[in-house]
Amino acid sequence: MSVHVPVRLGPAESKLIEQLTAAGAVAEAERLTGSGLPTRRVEAYHYTDLKQLLRAVPELAGAAEAASAPALRVAGAHQLMIANGIVQESGTAPAGVIVGKTTGGVLSTRDDIVTRLNNALVGEALTLELDGSVDPVIQIDRRTEGGAGHSTSAAKIYVGDGSSAVILDTYSGSDEAHLGNHATYLALGKNAKVTHITVNLAGSKATHFASNEYHLAEGAQLRTLIINAGAALSRTQLFPKYEGAGAHADVTGLNLVSDGQHADITMDALHAVPHTSSKPLFKSIARGRSRAVVQGRLVVARDAQKTDAKLMSQGLMLSDEAEILAKPELEIYADDVVCGHGATSGQLDEDHMFYLLSRGIPKAEAETMLVRAFLAELIDPIEDQALNEALTDVVDGWLARG
Amino acid sequence: MTTPMLEIRNLHVRIEEREILRGVNLIVPKGEVHAIMGRNGSGKSTLSYVLAGKEDYEVTEGEVLLDGVNILEMEPSDRAVAGLFLAFQYPIEIPGVATMTFLKAALNAQRKARGESEISTPDFMKAVRDAGKALHIDADMLKRALNVGFSGGEKKRAEILQMALLKPKMCILDETDSGLDIDALKVVSDGVNALRGPDRSMLVITHYQRLLNHIVPDVVHVFSDGRVVESGGKDLALELEGKGYAGFDEEKAA
Repeated sequence: MSVHVPVRLGPAESKLIEQLTAAGAVAEAERLTGSGLPTRRVEAYHYTDLKQLLRAVPELAGAAEAASAPALRVAGAHQLMIANGIVQESGTAPAGVIVGKTTGGVLSTRDDIVTRLNNALVGEALTLELDGSVDPVIQIDRRTEGGAGHSTSAAKIYVGDGSSAVILDTYSGSDEAHLGNHATYLALGKNAKVTHITVNLAGSKATHFASNEYHLAEGAQLRTLIINAGAALSRTQLFPKYEGAGAHADVTGLNLVSDGQHADITMDALHAVPHTSSKPLFKSIARGRSRAVVQGRLVVARDAQKTDAKLMSQGLMLSDEAEILAKPELEIYADDVVCGHGATSGQLDEDHMFYLLSRGIPKAEAETMLVRAFLAELIDPIEDQALNEALTDVVDGWLARG
Repeated sequence: MTTPMLEIRNLHVRIEEREILRGVNLIVPKGEVHAIMGRNGSGKSTLSYVLAGKEDYEVTEGEVLLDGVNILEMEPSDRAVAGLFLAFQYPIEIPGVATMTFLKAALNAQRKARGESEISTPDFMKAVRDAGKALHIDADMLKRALNVGFSGGEKKRAEILQMALLKPKMCILDETDSGLDIDALKVVSDGVNALRGPDRSMLVITHYQRLLNHIVPDVVHVFSDGRVVESGGKDLALELEGKGYAGFDEEKAA
């Protein structure tokens, strides 16, 4: 017989329970009452103890006008907007793009508070159907505007067989203590080729949660670049599922953290069928008193023979107080696979630095060159020129804020 | 007497508890090429790193004057701007930094520090092409990341290319002949010789005499146990080659 000790609930949990109840999600409210927010004892939240880190939850955000300019402008991109969870009217869609709306959650149910909150609290979701070779970058500009608010957004995207697209999600808003919880469901048809970039530029007091669920059919090719550059507390969760032979993803991500920030990229991938491959590569740069977290979990199903998956985490620490925490988890049920993981973490290479200085390049510029070099593997594969430059600007802007 | 290009006065340097340089005195007048010869471990390479300003070395005594200015307190980048250039024995590979980007950054940083305007891209391309031609450096090599995957010979030629572009007044060549076959040695030496002139001095650090058949020095210094123990004309190199460093040490001891 086990003794049931009730969980002591803090103000953040109480507020979430109240919001879930008001939204009619009684079962979710009860569930959270029973479990509380995850602590470090929950493996998936080992380095991001939400009970400790999430101290307060603001009121649910009401409808608001998007006041600020887009956080990231990419020349030629087609912009769609979700403001405080509400899908905004947009202009004429480009060829091969059908824009719509649906109600309710978009993510598969799983034992995870962030996805459960999103599914329970989301009002409407943006839907996109992309067919053929979609030319412009499709940008989903997600905002939380007005006073401090808890906003929930969702997008459900289908990319047709043999189609190709570049999708950019950006997250920003007014400089208040928002809680943004954003979901993306992205299904790639057979042989579809998709680049999905997400850039978290939330304000310095905000909390940012994002969950991206990917489904890859036969021969589908996905590249992601997940950038956490904003918010006091960020957690971006990636759930790629390889469902057809020949499916491949380069799942890449980047945490950029400065003094006082905590950013987490957590991937939980499932190779479900034979002959799929993935190359998750996550990098973190930390300065000041900050913390970057990378967790990568690879699950290979019993039938998923010939899976080829290599997980890598690399960290660059620019201060003595910076922390980079990396944790791989491999769960392999098949017996004929090539799976591996690695992690490195360190400071800028002194020999590299001295070589650049010895040629007259000043220290700050040499640092920038070496940081860019560290990130080249992530940025260089982004083929769209305007997008590549915009992302380079995000990185350079972060570096310049020193 | 005119100010020497490089003057080293009683330089003492240690790494942790070990004294590596034990009172180096050396004068390189303007326009002259001097060679430093010495066996492995005599402190030659330490001298080159200390001149260029690498951390990890503690200067406990002495001065280094570049054209009359003490450079020991200067950052490595400021020394480069002041006209010092070290051709590395082992040029560093830097993945992710394109060679051309690096060359342009170095050239512009030095121009900027001297109050000059940035070089235009066409002028820059032309300068690299012209300097590269004599060193048999083609466009493909320049497209790669800095020194990454370069052969030993390519790395040394790339160093001389940088020297040609940056136009330093004091060049230190650290074991520039190491890892080179005879053809590559000739290309590199020709490149160095083409840069000799009345306003540029060189300090050629080497282990073997053979480099000095190609880059003929005005003065040869013998380096032993952290200091210069003998200086003379270019024949001193031949004498060393004949007797070996050991023979030389014995003679000194006698």
